[in-house]
Amino acid sequence: MHITDTFGFAIRALRGARARSALMLLAMAIGIASVVLLTALGEGARRYVGNEFSNLGTHLLVVLPGRTETTGGPPPLIGGTPKPLTLDDALALTRSTTVRYVAPLIVGSAPVSHRQLEREATILGATAELLPVRNLELARGKFLPPGDPERGAAVAVIGSALKQNLFGNAPALGRWIRIHDRRFRVIGILKPMGESLGMDLGELAIIPLSRSQSLFDTESLFRILVQATTREHVARTERAVSEILKTRHGGEEDITVITQNALLGTFDEIFRTLTLAVGGIAAISLAVAGILIMNVMLVAVSQRTAEIGLLKALGAPGGEILRLFLVEAGLLSVTGALLGMATAYGGVWAMGHLFPDFPIGVPPWALAAALLVALLTGLLFGVLPARRAARLDPVRALSGH
Amino acid sequence: MIRLEGISREFQVGDERVHALRGIDLDMIPGDYLSIMGPSGSGKSTLLNILGLLDRPDSGRYRLEGIDTTTLTEPQRAAARRERIGFVFQSFHLLARLSAAQNIELPMTLAGIDPAQRRQRVARTLRALGLADRAEHRPDQLSGGQRQRVAIARATIMRPLILLADEPTGNLDQSSGEEVVETLETLNRDGITLVVVTHDPRIGERAARRIRMVDGAILGSG
Repeated sequence: MHITDTFGFAIRALRGARARSALMLLAMAIGIASVVLLTALGEGARRYVGNEFSNLGTHLLVVLPGRTETTGGPPPLIGGTPKPLTLDDALALTRSTTVRYVAPLIVGSAPVSHRQLEREATILGATAELLPVRNLELARGKFLPPGDPERGAAVAVIGSALKQNLFGNAPALGRWIRIHDRRFRVIGILKPMGESLGMDLGELAIIPLSRSQSLFDTESLFRILVQATTREHVARTERAVSEILKTRHGGEEDITVITQNALLGTFDEIFRTLTLAVGGIAAISLAVAGILIMNVMLVAVSQRTAEIGLLKALGAPGGEILRLFLVEAGLLSVTGALLGMATAYGGVWAMGHLFPDFPIGVPPWALAAALLVALLTGLLFGVLPARRAARLDPVRALSGH
Repeated sequence: MIRLEGISREFQVGDERVHALRGIDLDMIPGDYLSIMGPSGSGKSTLLNILGLLDRPDSGRYRLEGIDTTTLTEPQRAAARRERIGFVFQSFHLLARLSAAQNIELPMTLAGIDPAQRRQRVARTLRALGLADRAEHRPDQLSGGQRQRVAIARATIMRPLILLADEPTGNLDQSSGEEVVETLETLNRDGITLVVVTHDPRIGERAARRIRMVDGAILGSG
């Protein structure tokens, strides 16, 4: 800064308490607004990812054949053929008390036809439990009926895109379709839900598990989806599932259990770290605000020397003067913080309107923390000027030195 | 009531040590009217500051109502200023952002007196000084004489034993000065101990006891 600018700044700052206070409020408001806004953005990102994953069902465990150390990857190609998962394995899992649903799955691909129209579609062999486990929703009709998984009727639930391709706008419920060389009656149509677990839910036909076993001539399951009773029980369920299947497979740990909880937990952790990091960056602006407050307060003290001297002559002890200046600093910080929060909420509201899909939200802890930090900053940086004021010699102060 | 014994005070000015006060002895009884005169630098303001407990002597004893003030802690000295001493300054030292009434109220606010009583006492004092219609005026809306009378009201609102006035008429024209001195003398007649520091002989001569100071020592009193 050029010396004349420094003088100009000082003269402007000396102009009056109103400008001085406005300056301090502004500094604090900007600091707090950035802290709150940035943590809200971080929290929003966390929620966004969390929501995306919750669509898959948060209490879900996926059991797949084969042992793999890294979660999420395919079973290893070397290391021997693992024992396949069977329907009996799946039914055995229902013994665990923390398991709510078990949904065994067989996945294959087959041509699906209605009259002259034919499409190649993903065929899912499943049971009635798939509906709650995967949060599937029906546009029309019913899902697969519950009952003995060994004996399924020749019925099918089809995805919305498949229905459109085969039937157009004509009604499909109750009609017969051909999958490969077998006939199935359409009893339900899924709501369009997009993709989930890497499968297009639109181009899908779901048939009873026993029917898919004979269709694809296989006994082994592609996956077993397990839903725990609560999200907290996911870890216990994971252990129980491993334990039961290990016993059934002769002591061999030849299955892999993937929990979304682990995945969600990782994301939670990543985004919490991110939020903290971003909050930390914003906290720097708070520190800057604090230093500005200290400077302006120091100017205020030197400007109000005579006043401080008078207060001392009128019998105010040093502690009283210290308190007066600290309260000023504290009030300014808190008012600034409230203004900053209002600004941040305005920003959050505006962003919520601009990007309605992004679940931006101010985490309550951020508000409390911001208020606390503002107060602490104000007091911390107010202490030095206030102590200077309290220690002024009254005789010198009164004569204006 | 007030007894100074061998009060000395030195200041460091550059490389030199300046003896502002050299062995001052002084006694005062309640209701005294004392003027301290002398040229600039004679130590009269330093003496007033020590009397007002704003400054500490380097040596000597100062007894106020039988209490040795040199042994008091800073908060105790502040309390003594609040309860027993009133100050009137040459430059008034009114707070510009407060109204006349609020300025007068300030010592009571600092002393923690409850608001209803404060308002009552302020109103009474304003009436007594003929400033009732100026209560809500800010200092910059008052004349010099009015400002000094507001300052006197502030100095006496806690009913102190002693009123210390440092050049109370220094910033006033003659008629305003006259008015202010009369206000001070009225308070003195009502029982307050009054000490006026001045270099205006016309003001100083009016006091019952007159002290002349030169070079930090009392030359003579009459």
